[in-house]
Amino acid sequence: MIVLLSTLSFLLAFVAVLTITAFGGMFSEKSGTIALSLEGCMTFGAFSASVVMFLLPSSIPSGISALLVILTAIIGAGLYSLLLAVACITFKANQTLVGTALNILSTAVSVVLIKQMTRTEALPVGNSRLNFTRFYEIFNVDLFGIQGVKFNWLLLIVFALVPIVYLVIYKTRYGWRLSSCGENPSCADSLGIPVNKTRYIGVLLSGLFAGLGGLLLITMNAEWDFANGANGFGYLALAVLIFGQWKPLYVFLGAFVFSLFKTLSVIYPSIDFLANLGLSSYFYLALPYIVCLIVLVFTSKKNAGPKAAGQPYDKESSR
Amino acid sequence: MTKIKTFFSTLLKKEGTKTVITSLWCALLGLILGFLLLLFINAKEAAYGMTSVLGNYLIFSNPQDRLNYFGQTLAKTAPLIAMSLSILVCYKAGLFNIGGSGQYSIAVIVITFLGIGANMPWYLTMIVAMIASMLWAMITGALKAFFNVNEVISGIMLNWIALYITNGILSTNSIVWDSPHSEAFTISTTSNSYIPSIGLDKLFANNSIVGLGMILILVVVVIIFILFKKTTLGYELKTTGLNSDAASYAGMNKVKNVLIATAISGALAGLAASLNLQNGFTSWRLSSTPVDIGFQGISSAFLGGLHPIGVIFSSYFIVHISEGGSMITDLGFSPEVASIMTSLIIYLSGFVFFIKELLRRHEIKLEFAKATRGKEGQA
Repeated sequence: MIVLLSTLSFLLAFVAVLTITAFGGMFSEKSGTIALSLEGCMTFGAFSASVVMFLLPSSIPSGISALLVILTAIIGAGLYSLLLAVACITFKANQTLVGTALNILSTAVSVVLIKQMTRTEALPVGNSRLNFTRFYEIFNVDLFGIQGVKFNWLLLIVFALVPIVYLVIYKTRYGWRLSSCGENPSCADSLGIPVNKTRYIGVLLSGLFAGLGGLLLITMNAEWDFANGANGFGYLALAVLIFGQWKPLYVFLGAFVFSLFKTLSVIYPSIDFLANLGLSSYFYLALPYIVCLIVLVFTSKKNAGPKAAGQPYDKESSR
Repeated sequence: MTKIKTFFSTLLKKEGTKTVITSLWCALLGLILGFLLLLFINAKEAAYGMTSVLGNYLIFSNPQDRLNYFGQTLAKTAPLIAMSLSILVCYKAGLFNIGGSGQYSIAVIVITFLGIGANMPWYLTMIVAMIASMLWAMITGALKAFFNVNEVISGIMLNWIALYITNGILSTNSIVWDSPHSEAFTISTTSNSYIPSIGLDKLFANNSIVGLGMILILVVVVIIFILFKKTTLGYELKTTGLNSDAASYAGMNKVKNVLIATAISGALAGLAASLNLQNGFTSWRLSSTPVDIGFQGISSAFLGGLHPIGVIFSSYFIVHISEGGSMITDLGFSPEVASIMTSLIIYLSGFVFFIKELLRRHEIKLEFAKATRGKEGQA
């Protein structure tokens, strides 16, 4: 029973991380900017939160410190995403290139600064692995009071956001404007929609959401090694976004399917049937990516993505 | 005097010169930002740290040490050039090869087994490795050509799959795996798979990692240069990259070109692995994220202005500061400082296109003004 429940809580946490990050990516891509830097934004959000977790004295009540940590993660990643926005929207840079650079940059910056923070006399170079057991205790509560089954309450925030995001995308003027900027920017412009401003907001939202995703990801554990960035979850979210066809509910479902396989890689030794197969642990690690690739084969033929994603909007050349 | 003036003004108008100037600006700005970060971390040691990053082997006072580390920097540049070319070939054909890490690690499996396990001649090991990574890269190509799967996403997925395959296969084979160090055995200089140093080691204080590989990579650079400058195939790849609809309208086979581009770039990524491991210097270590070199290749390909000759210099520059970065650990800086600098440089080089576009528009305006003035004069 305990195994089943902790599996479930693992699964839900993975679903939440992927959903929230992919939703962020959806805002960015729907408005016309490719969200390759999700991984970087997650890392940077997680990193900013860790700095606060490291520095906050334990005398501050846990409620307030939790709130501070959440806000730092979100705002940190939001600010980081503006680096993408400036380069790609205002300066019309190659979005894949800048996204890649930002992903490397955030891992490198986090590692360098975390090592700097963890330096001691005995360990002059520091450690890229940061321990935050106190916050692990704050963010994870015992589910239904059962000892040993941890439940990260941050994922409640994420699941509350699912219907809100759905409504924003489909039922609000902002959602329609967002999609129009990614589908046909010059048409949107002719209707008086400020294309670049809308795109800035889209990218900013992607950062804010990814920041929350990054925080949730690292607080599933009591420590995190920043040398691994966000462990590829940002890329996974991007894949989930694509096979969710940029639609909120499909993205949510996609995140669910994907998380099933991701969870399998964590819990397979405790399932007798799978453990008896004698397959290498690396096979289970690779499985989610293999499944993702196969799903992409079936969903990519009909390209449902925003038509103008990846193309900077230039008023002058579209005249 | 006027001759020199016109020479310089035509030189400035050249696309290549603009690329060089903007790349240098990006590099300089990236280094300055990196220096500011060092100041922030440890103001006292920042200047010395920066000197080590920029100086690399020059900080040694003993000339033998200098030569030795200079050789090491050069030898490490060779694989990065190969990887940059891999990115470059795909980019010219309109594809973004983010899967270099995966292609590299598939080649690593082959090299480790043929080199350590079978002790095959170096050229055979190299060729088989290149074929393996070529086939791996063509998965991306085939998915793109037949199923319209975005190559960036499939490349990323294949990076992780290849990483786990490589970790899984190598770490469970005691013939090739050095368990206590959790890394594969390194190909020794006496092995058949060691790329011969043909006396070049003598020039670099007997540093055995310098060798034929460095000459080989220069030959490959020239081949890629000729491919895009002189051959029909190169022309077709470029046309597909610029406008795939126009290319198919002109009778070029898009499917074929995508497959060929990914095949060439896969083989080049395999060559990178071969040049990196077959010089008896390093081997595969257990890693939990796709290897860096695939991303460094993206950096140096763009910093080199996406030109085969340009990537020689940009690759050298990136290796130079990375090697320098690995020397500053004893100052309490972590070697990732170099990685911050390179990624900043790449971020900044994203702005290059915009700057070039501005220059172009400015030139057109000037020419237009000249032309209209000329007409008025006639009237």
